[in-house]
Amino acid sequence: MAVPLGAFIAVSAVLFFIGTAGVLVRRNAVVILMSVELMLNATNLALVAFSRRYSSIDERGSVFVVFIFVVAAAEVAVGLAIVLSAYRNKPTVDVDEIRQLKG
Amino acid sequence: MPVGPFGIDPVIWAPLRLVIAVLLVVGLVFNGALAQIYLERKIQAIIQDRLGPLHTGPWGLLQTFADAIKLLGKEDIRARLTDKWFFLAAPSIVFSPMLASYVVIPFAPGIVGADLNVGLLYMTTLGSMTVLGIVIAGWASNNKYSLMGGLRSAGQLISYEVPQILSLVTVVLVVGTLSMVGIAESQPGWQLNVLVLPLAFVTYFIAGLAETNRAPFDLPEAESELVAGFLTEYSGMRWAIFFLAEYGEVTVVSSIVTTLWFGAWHGPFVEVFPLIGVLWFTLKTYFFVLVFMWIRATLPRLRIDQLMSLCWKVLIPLTLTNLVVTATLLLVFPSTLVPVAIANWILLAAFVLLLPYVQRRRLVALRERLRTAA
Amino acid sequence: MLDFIEPALFAILTIAIVAAGAGVVLANRITTSALLMAFTFLNIAGMFVLLGAETIAMFQVLIYVGAITVLILYGVMFTPQSPRAYGLFFQTQKYWAALFVVPIAIFVALVAFSFRDSATLGAKGGDLLPLATSVFRDFAFPFEVASVLLLAAMVGAIVLVKRDEE
Repeated sequence: MAVPLGAFIAVSAVLFFIGTAGVLVRRNAVVILMSVELMLNATNLALVAFSRRYSSIDERGSVFVVFIFVVAAAEVAVGLAIVLSAYRNKPTVDVDEIRQLKG
Repeated sequence: MPVGPFGIDPVIWAPLRLVIAVLLVVGLVFNGALAQIYLERKIQAIIQDRLGPLHTGPWGLLQTFADAIKLLGKEDIRARLTDKWFFLAAPSIVFSPMLASYVVIPFAPGIVGADLNVGLLYMTTLGSMTVLGIVIAGWASNNKYSLMGGLRSAGQLISYEVPQILSLVTVVLVVGTLSMVGIAESQPGWQLNVLVLPLAFVTYFIAGLAETNRAPFDLPEAESELVAGFLTEYSGMRWAIFFLAEYGEVTVVSSIVTTLWFGAWHGPFVEVFPLIGVLWFTLKTYFFVLVFMWIRATLPRLRIDQLMSLCWKVLIPLTLTNLVVTATLLLVFPSTLVPVAIANWILLAAFVLLLPYVQRRRLVALRERLRTAA
Repeated sequence: MLDFIEPALFAILTIAIVAAGAGVVLANRITTSALLMAFTFLNIAGMFVLLGAETIAMFQVLIYVGAITVLILYGVMFTPQSPRAYGLFFQTQKYWAALFVVPIAIFVALVAFSFRDSATLGAKGGDLLPLATSVFRDFAFPFEVASVLLLAAMVGAIVLVKRDEE
C-alpha cells in the first residue's frame, strides 16, 4: 500500500500554515525569518511530490526546487544583514518596536 | 524465492547486513583512530628529531591504550552552561556525519556499503553538517573564547567547502559519474586520474586539510591559541569524541583522494583475487594520512586572515579557472583526455612556481609601504 | 511483504516534521527554535528520499542544514535580547492571526487528500539525470540568472553590515 500523493500535499500544507502562523504571531525578527524558511520548505515538498508523480513527462518541479534553494539562501543572507543593521541602530529585534523609519 | 548469501533468508539478511556494516565501520573508525594517534605521535617525534612514546609496550605501541584509559577516568567537568542538552549533543553532531560517510567508500570490487548514484555528493553533504556541530559546541560552552573559536572554525569550514566542491566537480566532469564505485572503476590499471587532473588533487588536498581543521589550518583548535578554541570546556571522553571525529574525517578525506585520483582498489593481482583490493585501498589511504601528519609536523600555523585570504584570493580563482578550462577542453576535444591533462599540468606548474614569486613581490611592496609611512 | 515500510517511514517523518515545525514557532528559547528548524530540514530531506528524489535531498541538507542554519545561528548569537516573559514573545495580533490561519489550514489539508494516486506512480529511477539535463539544457538561462542573483545577494549583504569607516 503506497502513500497517496494527497498525504504529501497535506503535510506540505500543514507545514506551510505553521510557518505562516509563525510569521504572523512571533515578535522576534529572526524567528520570523525561520518561519519563512519553513514555508519555503513546505512548497519544496509539494513541488517535488508533484514532480515525481508526473516524472514520466518531465521533472520541471524538481528544477524549480533548485531555484527555490538559491533564492531562499540569498533571502536569508540579505534578511539577516538587514536585521543586524537594525539591531546596530537600536538594540532590539522586536518587530513591534522597530516601527519608525527615523532613528 | 530469492536466497541471500550463505543461504540466509533475505528478510533476515537485510537488517543483519546493516548491523554487521555498522559494527564493521565502528570497529574501523575506532581502530583506525587508535592507530593514527600512535602514528601521529611517533611521526611528529621522528620529524622533530626526538623519539616519541617508548616505554609503554614494545616501541610504545600501547601508549594509545594508556591515553584512552586516562581519558575515560577523567572527571566530567561541566561548568555553569547556557544549555545542558546542546553541550551534550554537540560531540555527537560532529561525530555522526563522519561515521555515515563510510557507507559509500569502495574498499574492493563488490565491497561497498551502498552504491549510491550520488555517492560523492553524499560525502560532501555530510562534510558540511559538521559545521553545525562545531557552532553548537562553541556556543553551548558559555565561554567567550569558545564562542569565538567556534564561529571562526565555522567560517573557515564554510569558506573551504567551495574549492573542495569545485575540485570534485572537475573530476566528475572528466569521469562522468557521481557514484564512488563508478569513479573507482573508471581508472583501470595505470590510467589514474592523477595523471589527468593533478591540480584538482592538490587543491582538494589543501581544502581537505582546512576542512578537517588540521595543521596548518588548525587555528580554531590549537592548544596555544584561544585556549583551545571551541574545545575548551570539553574534558575527558567528550574531548576524545571530537578527536575521534577529526581522525575519522582525515581518513574519509584520504579515502576520497584515493578513490578519485589514485584508483581506489586497483593494484597488482586484483583481477585474480578481488579481496586484495582492500589491502591496496588501505595502503593508499594510510599513505595520505601519513602525508597529513607529515604536513602537520612541518608547516607553521596560518593566522585566520591569512587562511581566509588563501581560500578566497588564491584557491577559489584557481579552482574556477581549472573548472572552466577543463570544461572547455572537454567540449572542444570530446574524445580524448590529453588536452585536459596538458592544461592541468601547466596550471599546476604555474601555481607552484608563481605563488612564491607573487608572495615575495607582495612582501616587498608591504615593506616599501611601511618604510615610507614610518 | 515489506510493504508496510513506506507508510511507516512516512508516518514517522510526518510526525517529526509537524512537531518540529510547531516547536520552531512556539519554543521558549530562540536557539531551540533554530535547532528544531534544522531538524525539520533533515526530515524533509528524508521525505525527498522517500519520493525518490535523492539529489534534491542531498542539496537540501547541504544548503539548508549546512549553510542556512549556521547563518541563522550567527544571527541569533549576534542579537542577544534581555530575557522576558513567555507571553511577550507573541505580537499583539496573535488572536486575529490564529482565527485567520487555522480554518484555512484545515480546509487546504482536507482538499489535499483528493489526490488519491500514489506519489511514486510515475517515478522510475533516480532524479539525477533528468534534473541535470533540465537544469543545464532547458533552463540554462535561469541558471545563469540565479548565479547573478547570488552574487548580488552576497555583495548586498556585505555592504549592509559594513560599518562606516570615518
